[in-house]
Amino acid sequence: MAANTDAQKKDGAPVATFKLVLVGDGGTGKTTFVKRHLTGEFEKRYVATLGVEVHPLVFYTNFGPIRFDVWDTAGQEKFGGLRDGYYIGGQCAIIFFDVTSRVTYKNVPNWHRDLVRVLENVPIVLCGNKVDIKDRKVKAKQITFHRKKNLQYYDISAKSNYNFEKPFLWLARKISGEAGLQFVEAPALAPPEVKVDPALMAQYEKELNQAANMALPDDENDDDDL
Amino acid sequence: MASPQELGKAFSQTYYGTFSTDRGALFKYYHPQAMLTFEGAQVSGQEAINQKLTSLPFQQVQHVVTTVDVQPVPACEGAIIVQILGQLKTDNDPPHGFVQAFTIFPINGAHLIVNDMFRLVLHNA
Repeated sequence: MAANTDAQKKDGAPVATFKLVLVGDGGTGKTTFVKRHLTGEFEKRYVATLGVEVHPLVFYTNFGPIRFDVWDTAGQEKFGGLRDGYYIGGQCAIIFFDVTSRVTYKNVPNWHRDLVRVLENVPIVLCGNKVDIKDRKVKAKQITFHRKKNLQYYDISAKSNYNFEKPFLWLARKISGEAGLQFVEAPALAPPEVKVDPALMAQYEKELNQAANMALPDDENDDDDL
Repeated sequence: MASPQELGKAFSQTYYGTFSTDRGALFKYYHPQAMLTFEGAQVSGQEAINQKLTSLPFQQVQHVVTTVDVQPVPACEGAIIVQILGQLKTDNDPPHGFVQAFTIFPINGAHLIVNDMFRLVLHNA
């Protein structure tokens, strides 16, 4: 892949750049999510031999800029698994599912397995997308996979920008080892296409916090039987 | 009687036409014990093949065939092996190259697929 020469700080030093792979079932909103970041959308490039779209997303932190080269599957996951080349060199990952589609959550362990087969020990965020839709099927207390595998979880709504920055902030802190890392400037995002209900989002957050304090279901075959 | 070339070409037009318009009817082109390897996932039998093809999670797909190579299968009267190189586009995704190979046998006056292997032309680097 291309080197980092096109992203430079004002003093000419290269921006710290990390490969972030997006995985999850087709239709869960990976592409919608990554396209929210406007400069990344303008500077994306399509690599036909790999069948991927790479979006360079820059965030400004109190430790300087950080760039995630976000790999998006360009639809190839609709045919089955992804090639190893999609994962190779990945330094962090986001696994997507759709909270209005149970089967996409059931497939999360398969995506996680494929991911860690190639990438051991990279920080991973699990995102449940489309929380703006009222008819939510995958409830907070049913989302337990991340706790078994030490992933971070966020509810998100790509179309409303709700929690857009959360996964990137968590990954930036993990990668840098700086728990005090903050974003100091909001990235330019596409305007929201839908609005989320703040009261409902607060309710979801409360449910997630409650779920985090409950005992995990004792489930030996969690990779197969979710 | 159509030549192997003509047969292969007519087959690819029919097959991909049906793929775009009526995926649920594709199984009729397969032999009851046919085998399909789709992006590395192998299934066999008409029903399993139907299940695989109809469960692919895109709404729309269009194939554009670039080349069709055909050979008769020696010692199997009327049978052909077909290799297709083309591009396809699903939904709003970028187009991808694909290769697909079929063996087709004449059975009771019809031509049925007995083997089908499909891959997107995507690489690791």
